[in-house]
Amino acid sequence: MKNILIKTILLLAAITLTCCQLDEVENPNAATIESVQDGASQADIQLLAVGLESVLRNDLDFHYDTVSILGRDYYDLTGVDPRFTGEILKGPLDNNGFLTTRSYAAWYKVVKSANILIESVVNSEAGFSDQVKNSYYGYAKTLKAYALLMVANRQYTNGIRLDVSDPNNLGPNVTYDEALSGIESLLNEASTELSNAGGSFDFPISAGFEGFDTPATFGEFNRALAARTALYQDDKAGVISALGNSFFDISGDLWAGPAHIFGATGNDILNAQFHVLDQSGEEFMINDAWIADAEAGDTRVDDKSFLLTGGTTTFDGLSADYQVALYKSNVDPVYLIRNEELVLMYAEANIGTDNVATVDAINIIRNAASLSDYAGAVDDVSLLEEVINQRRYSLFAEGHRWIDLRRLGRLNSTYIPLDRSGDNIIEAFPTPFTENL
Amino acid sequence: MIKVLHFKMYLFILLLLPLAMFSQNNVTGTVTDGESGLPLPGANVIIKGTTTGTTADFDGNFSLNVNSFPVTLVFSSLGYETIQKDVNSAGVVNVAMKESATSLEEVVITGLASSTKRSNLANTVASISAQELTGVTQQSEFGTSLAGKFTGAEIKANSGAPGGGVSMRLRGVTSIFGNQQPLFIVDGVYVDNSSIGLGNNIVSEASGGGNTSSTQDDASNRIADIDPEDIETVEILKGASAAAQYGSRAAAGVVLITTKRGKQGKPKVTFSQVVGFRSPTQLLGLRDWDADEIIALGGDPNAPLRDYEAEIFDETRVSSTTRFTTSGATDKTDYFFGVTNKNEPGLVDNTGYKKTSLRLNIGQKFNDWLDLYVTTNYINSDADRGFFNNGNANRTVGYALAFTYPWEDLSPVDGVYPAGGAGSNALETIALTTNEERVNRFIGSATSNIRLLNTDNQKLKLVLQAGFDQFTLRTTSIFPKALTYFRSPTSLGGVSIQGNTVNTNYQLSAFLVHDLSLDNGLSFTTQLGNFFQDFDRNTVVTVATGLNGSQTNLDQSTNVSTDQNIIPQQDTGFFGQTEINFEDKIIGTIGIRGDKSTNNGDSDKFYYYPKANLAFNLHNFDFWNIDAISSIKPRIAYGEAGSFSNFRDRFTVFDGELIGGNSGLSPNLLLGNTDVGPERQKELEYGLDFGFLNNRINIEFTIYNKKVDDVLLEVNYPTSSGFTTKIQNAAELENKGVEIGINANIISKNDFNWDTNFKWWKNKSEVTRLDVPSFTEGGFAASLGTFLIQEGKSVTQIVGTYDASAYTPEEIAERDPEGDGFFVYGNAEPDFQLSWSNQISYKSWDLSFLWHWKKGGENINLTTLLYDLAGTTWDYDDTGLDPSGTLPNGPYRASQAFVNPDPVIEDSGYLRLREIGLYYTLPEGFIKYASKIRLGLSGRNLINIFDYNSYDPEVSNFGNNELGNNVEVTPYPASKFINFHLNVNF
Repeated sequence: MKNILIKTILLLAAITLTCCQLDEVENPNAATIESVQDGASQADIQLLAVGLESVLRNDLDFHYDTVSILGRDYYDLTGVDPRFTGEILKGPLDNNGFLTTRSYAAWYKVVKSANILIESVVNSEAGFSDQVKNSYYGYAKTLKAYALLMVANRQYTNGIRLDVSDPNNLGPNVTYDEALSGIESLLNEASTELSNAGGSFDFPISAGFEGFDTPATFGEFNRALAARTALYQDDKAGVISALGNSFFDISGDLWAGPAHIFGATGNDILNAQFHVLDQSGEEFMINDAWIADAEAGDTRVDDKSFLLTGGTTTFDGLSADYQVALYKSNVDPVYLIRNEELVLMYAEANIGTDNVATVDAINIIRNAASLSDYAGAVDDVSLLEEVINQRRYSLFAEGHRWIDLRRLGRLNSTYIPLDRSGDNIIEAFPTPFTENL
Repeated sequence: MIKVLHFKMYLFILLLLPLAMFSQNNVTGTVTDGESGLPLPGANVIIKGTTTGTTADFDGNFSLNVNSFPVTLVFSSLGYETIQKDVNSAGVVNVAMKESATSLEEVVITGLASSTKRSNLANTVASISAQELTGVTQQSEFGTSLAGKFTGAEIKANSGAPGGGVSMRLRGVTSIFGNQQPLFIVDGVYVDNSSIGLGNNIVSEASGGGNTSSTQDDASNRIADIDPEDIETVEILKGASAAAQYGSRAAAGVVLITTKRGKQGKPKVTFSQVVGFRSPTQLLGLRDWDADEIIALGGDPNAPLRDYEAEIFDETRVSSTTRFTTSGATDKTDYFFGVTNKNEPGLVDNTGYKKTSLRLNIGQKFNDWLDLYVTTNYINSDADRGFFNNGNANRTVGYALAFTYPWEDLSPVDGVYPAGGAGSNALETIALTTNEERVNRFIGSATSNIRLLNTDNQKLKLVLQAGFDQFTLRTTSIFPKALTYFRSPTSLGGVSIQGNTVNTNYQLSAFLVHDLSLDNGLSFTTQLGNFFQDFDRNTVVTVATGLNGSQTNLDQSTNVSTDQNIIPQQDTGFFGQTEINFEDKIIGTIGIRGDKSTNNGDSDKFYYYPKANLAFNLHNFDFWNIDAISSIKPRIAYGEAGSFSNFRDRFTVFDGELIGGNSGLSPNLLLGNTDVGPERQKELEYGLDFGFLNNRINIEFTIYNKKVDDVLLEVNYPTSSGFTTKIQNAAELENKGVEIGINANIISKNDFNWDTNFKWWKNKSEVTRLDVPSFTEGGFAASLGTFLIQEGKSVTQIVGTYDASAYTPEEIAERDPEGDGFFVYGNAEPDFQLSWSNQISYKSWDLSFLWHWKKGGENINLTTLLYDLAGTTWDYDDTGLDPSGTLPNGPYRASQAFVNPDPVIEDSGYLRLREIGLYYTLPEGFIKYASKIRLGLSGRNLINIFDYNSYDPEVSNFGNNELGNNVEVTPYPASKFINFHLNVNF
């Protein structure tokens, strides 16, 4: 009898001990997106805001390298991947190759980060005032517009998606013009929000944004982007008006502007556009024409190039003597937009309405490069050529040449040196294969 | 007073009982083990031609009513030969049973708490005995000890580095991105077999620089911790039809390991010592240099040529394995204790494997209804594996060797190594770097049988089992600042990587097992129970760079960064199965497992895995009258099993970000899939087993078809969503195969016995459905050979780019019909495999050997290509490869690099003498106190015949759990062993 009792107890104990409900396991390695979409705390949201600034730097070198190579600012002669001297110079670009897809994905990751931040603020339980909410919205939308403008300029006539907030239901692919209008309204929305956002941001922002780290000053960065967008829309009045509210300063430091900063500790990343001078494997080489076409005494040439001590580097039928030396160390900042570009935008936007202002602005740039005042013809076409030329040297390797020549109808062999037979001019990146369009 | 009364009553009953028994024509007796003379509880006694019978009790005693004499009594017990006794009258019949020699009588685990005689089995379950596993020669570790010993498997070592690292595929590829390695269970404990990287990628940059995550570290897998000497049997469930009871973890098969247990009889004490000699299976040699060639590569033709390959690898290393065991049992208690100490230096200086394993298994019967069996195993191991395989900074020893020219002098001058021209100095790397894996592991289990009911025709017991597996793995990789490439201030300045993994698994299960025998000859074995399993792995890898001088402590550095990865999982569910046996003539089983897991998108959803099988022992039917065929069994089995998605597949997570000292979060590129579920395998297996000449020759013939549905794929996702990939259940695979096993006892005389064993097997895989476009996976790039997952094609087809200018449009249209830019150059899957093992004993001599032939199957051999690019290949100046006949082999292969991978995709077939052993047993009493002394000489991989242009076709740069696990990049070379054995039984 006693045995039966013990046996029954053991049996029951065994059945209850070994069976149970399973609770959902949270991911112990990282926060999940679901965990912040509803009822996020202030601390969560601050992390997302910092993450957004940080993620802007992802694959930045890749974006700048591809558009700079297309605009023949420089070549990648390291030989690491044959596509850097083949596909990208000869075309056609593979719609599923990394040259096309990698930066596209990187910029949309910024867009996603901004969307998550906006969504988290909308659904937060942090008790934010409208002003604080506006500060987040204005910040997120400005950076989202920046990323969309970057990707729109890559895809150009192939268009981009503007509405990507729901990964399972992505918005339509829109034309370049529609994309620019969409970016313009996004920037305007953000500007309004920033002007109703109180005196300071609710989150830390890096030293790269020193001088642009309050809603008001960040708004000046927003307007600089609006001016750039207007320039691409060929809206000269819009450029002038936006510049007026931006950090544009015709007599100011040409290198003033918000920047991506880098670091070597922990999860921080390095500036991959820095190339160790004279080291094998670092042959990012300036197109010879950029050196040859420069005016004598232009300090920008010396500042941004380095003559290899071992002589000419040749790879895959391309040769060059000067290494790209724009960045001086692996933690040098990369500017999102800076005063030098604003001055040049001002010069360009005034052509046809106030050519004197254009020449004044050009001279600011020329003098800063130790060149004498502009002495050429002052008709509209000549001035535009001069602006294009100054942009070539002032904004070298900063991703402008290819886009400038394209928007001004000059993306042809007069402006793009085709150094080998078989090299071609490519106008836009194809829509990535995975978009299933 | 009361006591006295009781005593009298007992006496009375004792007196009456025999009288009553005799009056009913009772036959009584004791069943004993013939060898030990100890009682054999549970033996069956049946009156032949009837269903009347009984079983022996715990003391081996039985008593059976017989209505009329004469009768024939049939005595049977699992693992023993069946005995028939003619009995003419009531009385005492004692029987001593003999352990069965034929494998048909052995017991095979078929449920989670029950077992079946092999002769009644409807599946092919491969079973490997201790003799087959470790009896022929000394094994370096468990994984490789299985190679060639059962059908349906592709087993290979990932490299020749000491300490393990083995890939095992049972019946083909079962997953593309998921788990491909079988589940290992030791005495009921789910033992972890993960392969955890060292973080060497920081230095090797094999997967790009800057992160610790890489599958190219040549890490060992943790099943290597199990000491093969402790193992009594290994059973291999190759697919879902046999393994459905293991549910969601069984799709890649299950390897069940049972360790040794004390046997009744005199206590046994054994001591063994093995001294082994390790040497390279082959070396590749130097290019046939002449002065012009040396000058062309910038060398000095007068400098002496040094053969660095020989300097580094051409060594004979002495290894030692010492083992001591003691075991024994009484009728209540049994124990087994074993200790192994192994020290096996590697070919390369400062590499090697040391292991100490301690095992104690104890069983105790408390009374006639309760017993307990506890197994414990402690393992301490230390593997120094060297720095080999792929790298993108020319720093691994293998990679540097490819680019090292023999006229260079790499020897240190005043203790300082010169910078090698190869990007690193191989001699310096060997001398100064540390790559170590240290393991402390405890595996324990406890099983208790509680007999709830025991009548003549019914038995019910509760089986409780608990298992525990915990290990701490400490990996240490030190690349000191003194290394030539870390001396510059702009370099990483020395790297110290310390990894720490704590893995804890435990399982609990409770099963009811019910045996029912009916008078009509039907018997039922039913089990039903549930289980709970908990798995928890926590890996922390800390990387310190910028070491202070010669310091290696993490504190003594400039930068420290840490990665942590926690993988938790909990599973629960139930399993039920009924086996129906009609007089050992027709045996059928049906069962179902239900699984819930926190790894599934919905952790509360049950996934069900059914199984059903049927076997007919035709020879047991009365109509069978062909004497030559002593047994014949057609059989069919069906089962389903699963394979989990990775833990993180269902989460969309944030990555950590840091900018200007501020921490942040950004979304990871993987879009979590909350609907993700396990892969599901459905296997149908059928076959025919037959035995001739009283089962002296047994043939097993099996055909299987296993389909894997809901195959997990990393699907490309529109990147405008902010994500690049999503895990989806989006494909179906199929593996079809044939397995044939023939074993024969050719000669069986008193002093001469010869057993031989042929095995032949073949598998063909196919992607039968693909919901996404074809994609490449594995290897490095299509221009270097990769795998193409394509509907209607083999899962393991190797493709690559081609030089379109070298072919006519017609040729291209024929070889690249899809126009995807790829030609098919090979297939990793072997055409077939064959093994032949023999055990011959003559008087006191025993000779065993095992040949293993793998026919076909291709590898991507990038070692040769790297040597070609450097101009140092051993066959650089030979000719024969270039179809146009113009270029020698080296320049030809180099000319095709990154365009046409055909020359580097090579046949990886081999014929190997895997094991050979010759033993002599000294006459009994030769030395006082020792009951038996055995001396032996054995070898492993002594003969290796292959046409593969590198060290060994068994190789994997990407470890064990990858689709492309047959890509070679400058590995640690393979070894062969010659061992001397001394075994003493006291």
